[in-house]
Amino acid sequence: MEILTQLIFSGIALGMIYAVIAFGYQLTFATSDTLNFGQGDALMLGALVGLTLVGMGVNYWLMIPIVCVFGAIQGAVVERIGVRPAIRIKSEFGWIMSTIALGIIFKNVAENVWGHDDLKFPSPLPEAPIRLLGANVLPMEILVVVGAVAMMAAVELFNRKTIWGKAVVATFNDREAARLMGINTGLVITFSYALSSMSAALAGVMIAPLTLTGATMGAVLGLKAFAVAIIGGLTSGMGIIVGGIILGIAEKLTGFYLSTGYQDVPGLVLLLIVLAVRPAGLFGKTAIKKV
Amino acid sequence: MKRPLLLAAIGLALLVGFPFIVENPYYIHLAQTIAIYAILLFGLDIVVGYTGQVSLGHAGLFGIGAYTAGVLYMHFHAPLLLTIVCGIGATAAFGAILALPALRVTGPYLAMVTLAFGTIIQILINEVTDVTNGPMGITFSKPVLLGMVLDERAYYWVCSFLLVASLIVVHRLLRSHLGRAFEALRGSPIASDCMGVSVYRYKVYAFVISAGFAGLAGSLYAYSERYISPNTYNFELTVLFLLAIIMGGRKTRSGALLGATIIVMLPKLLDDLALFRYVSVTLAVLVTAGAGLLVARGKTTLARSAIPVAGSVALAVLSFVLTSMTDWRLSIFGLITLLVVYYLQDGIVGYVRQALGWRGHGADDAAQAALLAAPASAVSTSTAGGAGELVAADQVLMQFGGLKALNEVTLHVARGTIHGLIGPNGSGKSTMMNVLTGIYVPTAGAIAFKGQSIVGRTSARIALAGIARTFQNVQLFGEMTALQNVLVGLHHSYRSNLLDVALHLPRFRREEREATARAYALLKFVGLESLAGEEARNLPYGKQRLLEIARALALNPELLLLDEPAAGLTAPDIKELVVIIRKIREHGITLILIEHHMDVVMSVCDVVTVLDFGQKIAEGTPAAVQSDPQVIKAYLGSEAH
Repeated sequence: MEILTQLIFSGIALGMIYAVIAFGYQLTFATSDTLNFGQGDALMLGALVGLTLVGMGVNYWLMIPIVCVFGAIQGAVVERIGVRPAIRIKSEFGWIMSTIALGIIFKNVAENVWGHDDLKFPSPLPEAPIRLLGANVLPMEILVVVGAVAMMAAVELFNRKTIWGKAVVATFNDREAARLMGINTGLVITFSYALSSMSAALAGVMIAPLTLTGATMGAVLGLKAFAVAIIGGLTSGMGIIVGGIILGIAEKLTGFYLSTGYQDVPGLVLLLIVLAVRPAGLFGKTAIKKV
Repeated sequence: MKRPLLLAAIGLALLVGFPFIVENPYYIHLAQTIAIYAILLFGLDIVVGYTGQVSLGHAGLFGIGAYTAGVLYMHFHAPLLLTIVCGIGATAAFGAILALPALRVTGPYLAMVTLAFGTIIQILINEVTDVTNGPMGITFSKPVLLGMVLDERAYYWVCSFLLVASLIVVHRLLRSHLGRAFEALRGSPIASDCMGVSVYRYKVYAFVISAGFAGLAGSLYAYSERYISPNTYNFELTVLFLLAIIMGGRKTRSGALLGATIIVMLPKLLDDLALFRYVSVTLAVLVTAGAGLLVARGKTTLARSAIPVAGSVALAVLSFVLTSMTDWRLSIFGLITLLVVYYLQDGIVGYVRQALGWRGHGADDAAQAALLAAPASAVSTSTAGGAGELVAADQVLMQFGGLKALNEVTLHVARGTIHGLIGPNGSGKSTMMNVLTGIYVPTAGAIAFKGQSIVGRTSARIALAGIARTFQNVQLFGEMTALQNVLVGLHHSYRSNLLDVALHLPRFRREEREATARAYALLKFVGLESLAGEEARNLPYGKQRLLEIARALALNPELLLLDEPAAGLTAPDIKELVVIIRKIREHGITLILIEHHMDVVMSVCDVVTVLDFGQKIAEGTPAAVQSDPQVIKAYLGSEAH
């Protein structure tokens, strides 16, 4: 029982990380119907840049805003180089290939800069676990949950309360109409990519102390976060949190009771099942096709 | 000898003679790899080029092929031929398992799902160590065929033979009704469904066939490398395959061959720094010169050509800065991918074709079609059943959220009549069409066609039952010729299976000949025979509408729904259209006509139904409807009182 509770706690922490990355997918999908296939690499870059900063003696808490700015710039670059030209030439899957290509480049650069080996990210909080409901919980895991919720809440608040946020929401709803209302939708799309990569970079520095940090850490995380986005529905904020937690716990249980080698399987299988049964996701709305 | 045959003979001679020209086993091995990759790319092109779906799972499928061979070899010492056949079968089966759920979605979803599939496969190969030997991999001895041990050269011939066989099969497949179905569902999914070609089913077919080729390639690869391990079949390999297809050129076999050559040779090139420097400088000079020429001619702007020039120059500079390319291999692949996606969308073969102004085979086929004997009658005659009701739609309710697009509308259509459906914009006419053709499933109400309920049936099944339609916003298969568009409508007339097509058995040859003659006759019926070889997207608007009618007639419909056929037509075109509509009716085909041109409606219709805000407000003869006060009110608004 104790072990189960503990697995559930760490599953929730992991699930919140997935939710944050999936949130990034939602942001860009809503504004431009595209998403960054290199989202996992944005996370990896965030973690590695954070690691370098901490290594240079920057305080963990001070490092976070710097990494966020870095992530935002990286996201804007991806949008400008990878997505915008593809949308302009109306290439069917150009943006898929170009964001994949950029992801590969980022990963390769990271391998050459930080090496092929996984690195240890020093934990900013004590590594001694706290007793909670009879289970051991790492302080870092609590920070992950709090940070993830805070991040998503901040973006939601921004969208609802500020005029810029309203421009973003208007673009979500109807890109053409928003453009006709004088909103610079191109800028909004760039902005959504910046936000998206920023949330991924933040997720990277949050999860790094819990796992190992390295050039290959992003790929599987990005893919599983996509599974979460699909399971929850690409349009539902609540969906990704629930989806993330379901997946996080399922993985921890699989890893413990079956084998860590199979840890990545439940998410991917769940993804296939959800798409077969309910392609709009558990919480998403089904769109009506127009003829 | 004809030119293509001559070229094929030369190609074949080179292929067979290669190991005599180059005796170094290393190069023979490279040639094997190119042949194996090309087989996979032929298959991948079916999915990517023809149906327009992105698959990131083909490295996984390739791995399944390799491991099927590996497992059979390791555990049972199965002979080469058996493992290859099993490799194809097992991979096609896995392809089906993936395709059935995955192909319900498209675009980015499909890309991610196939990626997830590839990842699962890699994990499974790694983890199920009892079967696959896990990360240790499987080592093969030299393959044995019919009691002979195959050396590098002999195995090269085996691969070459299978390459040529695959080429012929894929080529025949893609030029058959199956290939047209694949292309059609990309051009317009909705129109495909309404032509009786189920989009979902043919996407799954395409994917499974493609998986079969990946399996063949995978099992050949296992024997070629004589060692397989799980990490080969990773994400980078999948991207490499896609890059090869796009860079070589989609929808061409030569593009796949070229792509395979590039992705096999490129890593070797990157290993040889001196050669790479030479090549990258040449490339930079060529790109810069080309861009300069285009700017000078005013075909492109300085800003637009800046990126490829900068990219290729950067690559050249990079090659001199770095001392070893191996570590940066993936970045260079990434850069090449970016450049190809933006500047070489049609691939090298597509670019060359365009530059030389080569036509596709579609135009030649159309010219051939004109020479075939015309069938007795182009338009099917529907006399069965005599008089009576063909369509009985009762109390049909179609609700979108709170909006009732159709509010308990009852529509009865008598056999052999032309039934007009009019009403102001947004009155629910097109919704009615979509409900009748199964695109929407009505919220409530009953629809019977020939006395049988069609509610809840798929569009494809309804189309095959005898309801054909045209679309308000033209839905042609743009990249296909006019003739091919009509041939898609004739898809239902084929009974040939994959084997008939691959071997060009008499059944397929007969069906193809008959269908082509019939399609040509249908084009003649609407007066488009001179444009048979023209791509549909290049036809003028009025002709496109006529082509849609010809395609719909190919279904041998008993009921034809025309959705605003006269919209955007000139006055003489409209006259022609009226004649065609009357001719269709003479064949006993019942028509429902949505139209805003009142003169057309009033002159051809037997009965007219008027809709307004989703409700039926009048029905009767054209004259009666015309003088109905409620109809006048709906169109012109009520007089002020």
